[in-house]
Amino acid sequence: MEPIRTDFKGYEGKYVALDSRTGKIVIAAEDLESLFEQAKGRDHIVLGGRVPFADEPIPVGLG
Amino acid sequence: MRLGEPLYRPFVPIALANGDQTTFQLTGLIDTGADSVLASDYLADQLGIDLDDHDGETILGVGGHVAAVRYKTIGIRLYPKGEDEPCIEWQAPVGFIPNWHSYGFVLLGSVGFLDQFTVTASRFAQAVAVEHRDAFDDRFGPVPVS
Repeated sequence: MEPIRTDFKGYEGKYVALDSRTGKIVIAAEDLESLFEQAKGRDHIVLGGRVPFADEPIPVGLG
Repeated sequence: MRLGEPLYRPFVPIALANGDQTTFQLTGLIDTGADSVLASDYLADQLGIDLDDHDGETILGVGGHVAAVRYKTIGIRLYPKGEDEPCIEWQAPVGFIPNWHSYGFVLLGSVGFLDQFTVTASRFAQAVAVEHRDAFDDRFGPVPVS
């Protein structure tokens, strides 16, 4: 299986979902609830999380 | 980008299942530093899990906060070849963290994931391989365990 490498640039701060076949971002929501709502009824969706900003602190360990 | 280098994280497509309730496919982050499988409690709501009826509770430091993590044994599904191919499902304790989510919704740690598979990660290859757990012994020979 070919690994999927999604480019999240331009989606910083958004909650995203990917097309499971291509890895392309197909939903970019402002919050978690909106992400789940927009994903309902759609096929081939993988829900990611929030895309961090480049200068955002990353917690060490379980972020 | 961090320190001038692109970030690559070892995500795999998974879902959580509780009875006839299943989450969307989710990005699960393979985390060798996590002692167990941990997930956002938002997913417990989605699965209809009553965390007051938990299988165990522990206190963890998560994202700079101290949180009471409550565990429930549920199904975890891994989609090794995409969603149209058969998934692999097993039962494992999943710790639900209150009000937590990060770059993904699930951390795939030691108990519940790394005890199920042999995982090889390579930034050089920009890929992660998840194999049957006996693959480790096949490659390196059996290692005595306590």
